Amino acid sequence: MTELRLRHSFQHNFPYKPILMISNSKHSARSLTARLSDDKFQYYLMFLPALILLVGIMYPFITGVYISFTNEKLYLPTVEFIGFGNYVNLISDRVFQQSVVTVIKYTLLVLVIQIPLGFAVAILLDETSPLQKFFRSSVVLPLLIPPIIAGLMWKTMMQPEAGVINWALQSIGLPAFSWLSNPKTALFSIVIIDTWVFMPFAALILLAGLQSVSHEIIEASKIDGASTWQILRFVKLPWMTPYILLVMVFRVADSLKTFELIYPTTRGGPLNATRVMHVLGYEEAFRWANMGRAMAIIFMLWLISYIVSNRLVKTWEKSSEETKGEF
Amino acid sequence: MYSNNYKILQIIISLLIVFMISTLAACAGGATPTEQAPPPEAAEEQAEPAQEEEVQAPSTEGAELSLLLISHPFVDSLEPLIPEFEKETGIKVNLEVLAEQPGFEKILSDLSSGTGTYDLFMTDPLHNWQYASGGWLEPLDGYLDDPNLTDAVAYDVDDFFPGIWGAGKWNLEPMTGIGEGQLWAVPINYETYLLAYRPSILASQGVEIPKTYDDVLDAAIKLTYVDEDGQEVYGVITRFDKYWDLPYLTFGTMLQSYGVEMIDEEGNLGICTPESIAATELFIDIISQGSPEGAGAFTWYEALQGFASGQYAMSLDEADLFAPVYENPEESQVSDDVGYALTPLGPDGGRLAGAWIWQMSMNSASENKEAAWQFLQWLTSKDTLVKTHLGGNMNPVRLSSWEDPDVSAMVEAWGETPGQYREVVSEMAKVAGIRFPPHPELTRWLDRWAEAIQQSYFDGGNVEENLCAAQADIEKMMGE
Repeated sequence: MTELRLRHSFQHNFPYKPILMISNSKHSARSLTARLSDDKFQYYLMFLPALILLVGIMYPFITGVYISFTNEKLYLPTVEFIGFGNYVNLISDRVFQQSVVTVIKYTLLVLVIQIPLGFAVAILLDETSPLQKFFRSSVVLPLLIPPIIAGLMWKTMMQPEAGVINWALQSIGLPAFSWLSNPKTALFSIVIIDTWVFMPFAALILLAGLQSVSHEIIEASKIDGASTWQILRFVKLPWMTPYILLVMVFRVADSLKTFELIYPTTRGGPLNATRVMHVLGYEEAFRWANMGRAMAIIFMLWLISYIVSNRLVKTWEKSSEETKGEF
Repeated sequence: MYSNNYKILQIIISLLIVFMISTLAACAGGATPTEQAPPPEAAEEQAEPAQEEEVQAPSTEGAELSLLLISHPFVDSLEPLIPEFEKETGIKVNLEVLAEQPGFEKILSDLSSGTGTYDLFMTDPLHNWQYASGGWLEPLDGYLDDPNLTDAVAYDVDDFFPGIWGAGKWNLEPMTGIGEGQLWAVPINYETYLLAYRPSILASQGVEIPKTYDDVLDAAIKLTYVDEDGQEVYGVITRFDKYWDLPYLTFGTMLQSYGVEMIDEEGNLGICTPESIAATELFIDIISQGSPEGAGAFTWYEALQGFASGQYAMSLDEADLFAPVYENPEESQVSDDVGYALTPLGPDGGRLAGAWIWQMSMNSASENKEAAWQFLQWLTSKDTLVKTHLGGNMNPVRLSSWEDPDVSAMVEAWGETPGQYREVVSEMAKVAGIRFPPHPELTRWLDRWAEAIQQSYFDGGNVEENLCAAQADIEKMMGE
């Protein structure tokens, strides 16, 4: 409940509550206390970071949105306001439509694979074992590798002719696989790379959830005769809902704007098989110099990401409160 | 008191909004690329006073140049020579080398920002049509004609092959005027297309060197087999990714030999003509039957490495550029077993070929223009170019380089028989050319064409439908 309490106090008392807390400190120097007690000074001091954030984030954002309503091409001397022209063109554009479908498919695949797998890994890591420390530290190693490097590494391993993965498959009598070279398999191959890099993140969050289950409840369940499976199914799993939703909040936002694994591996290809919205927007800007269209794509991506994330955050908040109410 | 604070807050936010709107309006009204970077005419005017007022060349000692280069055998040949230039001039040279696609993306990003991060960069006519339109390139005529900056006799412009030198000129009029107007770039090498083959493999399978593209298909099928060591051998390798170079260069060579013109003299698109459809169908057959499954994503890097690895019997690519690698036993498994032949003939017995010219251009936002020109002059001088050719930068763009005894001796040894490489390249040079309209958006149109070709390969058919859809899309793009 800590985070909820903080949020509520923040909403009701901002910006004065934190200021009162500072000025009441017994250990503050006399002059500093006097200055900090000056509400106006404190007020502007608090306002400054907000102002910097407002300018630093909102200015480029609004500029980008404005550009999406123009026909700006980097090499053209004139820029005209064309209203929703870029949006109308994009909505009827085959490649754009495909990029929306591809990114949704990608996100769903990521969730469907990484949450159960992350949950399974979290359960294993939750068990007491002398090697637990080693497993817990080694499972997060992929998270420490920059995604671009991970992408290049996997691209090399997934080479159809000279890659180590196909060599391994063939050496045990299985057929070689096209991996990133075929439009039918490329997206799934990138999801595999994504899973290798980011599944440990899901596992860590879910492990934190498992470890926060009250020992008294588990003990009580055992005394009542509940099996390990029943404890997992009826005690731990309901408690885990907010943690699963939390993993979804992060992974959905990350997957919708994915770029760093696709760029070094397939650059959107073969054909348009992995050309998600972010990659298409990048190409419009830096391959074809068409900033107006690029910004329209990126703004629509932001809108989708915002709506979905917002919905997920609300569900997560509701679930957190309900779960805590239950226990 | 709180209400006062809210008022102040409201005032600050209002001021902020006014500031943002006014900045946006300024952005919309005038922050255009041409204002960030002076238009070519203005840049030329800026350069002119230097010619008239300066009696002596300005000192460039101590200047520092930044170059963005594309990973290429030329770069490998240039790097060892840089200290020589630095010692001679006192100019420090920093190189940044990127793979082709990220390199072009970074150049576009830097040029359009007008920051002048790179003084010089590797480029080509196709991209320069966009860069010159944006006013991002420094016209070089002023530097070339200035006796204080250029020793015209030693530099000897007439020594460059005229067609290759002319590809650096354009009059900024879309769809016309290559070779006219200002000079935007100087050439460093040129590539055309050859058929490279493995004589021992062809002999072992009883296959003749293909004369037509139908012969290539037959040969590719026969030359795809498993050898006595259990190794798979494939008939042919070529670049084949969804990228503008597919219809522009390698496959473009086949298309042109089939009589396909992207845009004819009347302005009609020729992408879904019967000739284009026939060429595409046959090309896809060749790749499908003579290349491995990953061939749908091969770039020229993979094509180069693939043939050099010894796994392929033939290569349809810029074997002239790749020859220094193929012939080098340290980099190639096929150095003692490679031959070169003319590209196959089209159905009417015609042969045309694409041409690629790597050039160097100067950023109009560079703050070291004199030093940059000094570097360009040194790089494309007779002596330096010969040194780069001997280091693997092919093909020469100067007549004197081609005739240089060391370069001649080097290429004389290449091929199945002495002199084969030189003879084939000289013959191909007669039919190689740029047969595309200069336009800042040409890469986008060609990307769409390449997509249709790849789609036909992956779909296993529908060539006509795909090409005609691409033609309709390109027509629409041309109208935007």
